[in-house]
Amino acid sequence: MMATRRSVLAATAGLPLLAAAPARAQRQPGVLRFGLSSFPPSIQPWVNTGTAAATVKLLIYRGLVSFAPDGSLRGELAETWHNETPTSWVFRLRENAVFQNGDRVTSEDIRWNLEQIAAERSTAFYRAQAQGIARIETPDARTIRIVTAEPMVTLPLWFASYHMMMVSPRSPTAAGALPIGAGPFVLRSQERGVSLDLVRFDRYYKPGLPRLRGIRMIAYADENLRVAALQAGDVDLIEYVPWQAMASIEADPRLRLDATDGPFMYLTFNASRPPLSDARVRRAIAHAIRREDIVKAAFFGRGAPLEGLPIPPGSPFHDPELAAGWRYDPARARALLAEAGVPNGFSTTILSTAQYGMHKDTAEVVQQHLAAVGIQAELRLPDWPTRVTLGNRGQFDIAVMGTTTENNDPDGMSNLLDGSLPASFVRSAGLRIPRIEELLAQGRSEFDEARRRAIYAELQRVALAEVPIVGLAWRSQGYAMVPEVRGFRAMPGALNFFSGITLEEASLG
Amino acid sequence: MLAWTVRRLLISLLLIWAVATVVFTLIHLVPGDPAELLLSAGGVAPDPAAVAELRERLGLDRPIAEQYASFLGGVVRGDLGRSIVDDHPVAEEILLRLPRTLELIGAGALLAVLIGIPVGTEAALRRGTLFDRATGATAALLLAVPIFVVGTLLVLVFAQWLRWMPAGGYVPLAADPWRHLTLLTMPALAVAKGLVAVVFRMTRTAVLDTLSRDFVRTARAKGLSPSRILVRHVLRNAIIPVLTVLALHMGSLLGGTVLVEFVFNWPGMSTPLLKAVEARDYPMVVGIVLTISILFVALNLVMDLGYAALDPRIRHA
Repeated sequence: MMATRRSVLAATAGLPLLAAAPARAQRQPGVLRFGLSSFPPSIQPWVNTGTAAATVKLLIYRGLVSFAPDGSLRGELAETWHNETPTSWVFRLRENAVFQNGDRVTSEDIRWNLEQIAAERSTAFYRAQAQGIARIETPDARTIRIVTAEPMVTLPLWFASYHMMMVSPRSPTAAGALPIGAGPFVLRSQERGVSLDLVRFDRYYKPGLPRLRGIRMIAYADENLRVAALQAGDVDLIEYVPWQAMASIEADPRLRLDATDGPFMYLTFNASRPPLSDARVRRAIAHAIRREDIVKAAFFGRGAPLEGLPIPPGSPFHDPELAAGWRYDPARARALLAEAGVPNGFSTTILSTAQYGMHKDTAEVVQQHLAAVGIQAELRLPDWPTRVTLGNRGQFDIAVMGTTTENNDPDGMSNLLDGSLPASFVRSAGLRIPRIEELLAQGRSEFDEARRRAIYAELQRVALAEVPIVGLAWRSQGYAMVPEVRGFRAMPGALNFFSGITLEEASLG
Repeated sequence: MLAWTVRRLLISLLLIWAVATVVFTLIHLVPGDPAELLLSAGGVAPDPAAVAELRERLGLDRPIAEQYASFLGGVVRGDLGRSIVDDHPVAEEILLRLPRTLELIGAGALLAVLIGIPVGTEAALRRGTLFDRATGATAALLLAVPIFVVGTLLVLVFAQWLRWMPAGGYVPLAADPWRHLTLLTMPALAVAKGLVAVVFRMTRTAVLDTLSRDFVRTARAKGLSPSRILVRHVLRNAIIPVLTVLALHMGSLLGGTVLVEFVFNWPGMSTPLLKAVEARDYPMVVGIVLTISILFVALNLVMDLGYAALDPRIRHA
C-alpha cells in the first residue's frame, strides 16, 4: 500500500496524543511523593548543604534530641537530659535505639561522633562548638556526660540541629558511601539529580512509627513546576511554595497550604568607614523603610514587617514594644541624619543579588525609601556566589540578606550580631559592639529563665540604638499538600526547615 | 589528502585546548570561592577554619598555574576530575547526563521531521492557498514565541488544567518505558517548536524549487502518479538541504536546551552546568563545556573531511 501525503500528515498530527491517556504517575500505597526544591548536593550528616538536604537528613538520621511540632525540645536517641552543673550536661540514651545496621546506639558511639565533628580536618557545621567541649565521659553504655569549658545553657539545642546527627562508627568508609543513621527511613536508592527513594526502617525506636511505607523525593528546581506537579497529581507534598502561588493553592479545594513566618530579610552594613560607621546613620536607615512595601512587593503580602531584632511573636523573649523599635518614621530618619552631620543625605551602594527575586525586590524597595530621606543608593546585583564573596570580604556599603536563625532561642541570633566572630556575609562588616557581645555570652551561660529574658531585653535595647543589622520583613515559608497527607506539619518560626521531622508521623489517609 | 587531514586534526586539538584554557581561566577569574559557597548553603556563616580545611582538601589553595597543569594532565589522561560539591567523578556525571540531552534533541528533531516535512510539502503543493498562508504564519509564530513561554503553556494546559500529562520530571527508560516516553513528550515538543518551523520553511522552499525542475516535468509527461512523483522524485531531492540545516540546528541545541530542561525538570547536561556555575564547581563546569566543545569540533571535523573527500578544491585550497 502506498502512503499518501494525507495519511502521513494525519499520522504525524496524531503522534503527540498517543501519550495523553494514563500519563500521570501512579501512587504506590503508603508511599508519599515529596517535591523537593533541589536535589541535595550531599546528605552527609554533619555538613551544612542546604535545606533540601536537611529534609532528607531528618528522615535518615536522628540526633540526641529534636524539636517537637510546637517547637519545644523532645528526646530522640536520648530519652532524658539535664545539667548537673552549669558546665556539665548528662544525656541518658534510650534502651531501644538502634542504627539501621542493627547495632544498638551506645554512649561510646555518641562520643565517637563528637570527636569526629571536633576533629582538626572536620568540615562539620558544629565543629567550633564541639571543640568547645572540654571532656566527654561515658560512665555506662547509656549515659554520656558532656563537660564544656564555659557554662552552656544552649547545649541541648546543638544536639537538636540537623547538622548534629549521630551515625554509626561502623559505617562504610568508601568514597561516596552514606553513613548509617538511626532515623525512621532508610535510603534505598537514588537517581542522581532526580529522585531519592526511602523505605521504612522497621526497627525505628518509636513504636508504630513511621506510618508511611516509604517516601519518594523528587527534585523540582523550578518553583512553578513544583506547584504544577502538585496540581497535576505528580506529587503529594511540596516544600518552598512560591508566594505568588499561595493564594491559588488556598483557593483550591484539592490542596492544603501550611505556612508559617520564619525566615526573614534584613540589612547589614560595612561600618568600617563613615557615614555608616555612625550608629545614628544606621538608625536613620532603620526608620526610613516602610516594611509593608517589602512584604507586598517581594512576598505578595505573605509575611510581616520586622521592625526590630528577629525574635518571633510567640517567643517568651518577644517584647512588642522593642519589636517595633525601628518603626517607619521618615521624619525621625531625617532628624537622625541631620544629627549625624549629613542632613542632605549621602550616596552609597546596596549589595543584593539578581539571582533571587526576593533579594532584588527587597533591595529596590529599600532603595526607594532611602531616596525619600536623601540617601542615594546605587544597586549592585551580581549573582549569588559573587554577592556571598563580596559580603565575606566586606566589599559593600549596605547589603540585603535573607536567612533564618538556627533555632527559636535568641542565642540563634549570635551569628548575625556578634561582631567578634570572623567576617561573614550574614553579618555587618567592621562593626563590633562590645555590649552586645557581653550580653550574648551572658545569655548563653544563664540558666535562670527570668534572668535570660532580662538579658535579651537589654540586648534588644542596645541593638535598637547601635543597629548591628536592620530587620526588614518576616517571610512566609510554606508547604502545600493534597488533603490525604496527614500528620505532616510546618514547624513554627525559625524551625520551619526542621518540618521534615514530622514526616515520621505522616500518613496518606 | 593525508597531510590536509592531519592539519585539520591538529587544528581541532588546538581548538579544544584553547576552549579548555579559556573556560578554566574564566571560571577561576569570576568572584566566588567554591569552599566558602559550599559551606554557606542556606544563608549561614561558615566556620572559617572549616572553609580553610575544605580549600586545602580540594586543592584550591595551590597556585593557579599548578591547578591548571594538573587539570591539563588529567584531560590528557581522560580524567576530568571530581565535583567539588559532592566528589562525584565529572566524567561519570557527563556520561549519565549527555545521553538524556541527546535523547531530548533527537526526539525533538524527530518530531520536527515528522511534522515539518509533511506540512512543508503540503504548503508547497498548495502554494498561495489559505493552508499555505496559515502554516506560514504558524511557523513565524513558533519562531517568535520564546521557548519558556511555550513550555510553561504546555505545563499549564496539559498538566495543570487537563491533568493529562505529568508536569515534568524523568524516569529512566529501563525502569518504566511508558512513563519515560510520556515525560519526554512535552519537552520534546518544546525543543521541536523552533525546529519544526525551520524544517517547514526549508521543506516548502526546497519542494517548490524541485517542483519547477525539468525532471519533474518529464516525470509528469511520462504519466507517473502525482504521489509517486512527490515521494520518488520531489522529496528525495528536496530533503537533502532540509536535513543539512536540521543537523546544524541540532548541533547548536547541544548547549541550548537549558530552558527546556529547566522548565520540564529534564535532568540533562544543562542543569548540572548551571548549578556548577552557581556553585563555582570548577571541574564540573570545565568538564561539561569541554565535552560540548569536543562534540562541536568533532562534528565540524567530520563535515570538513566529508566535504574535502567530495570536493578536491577544498583540500587543495
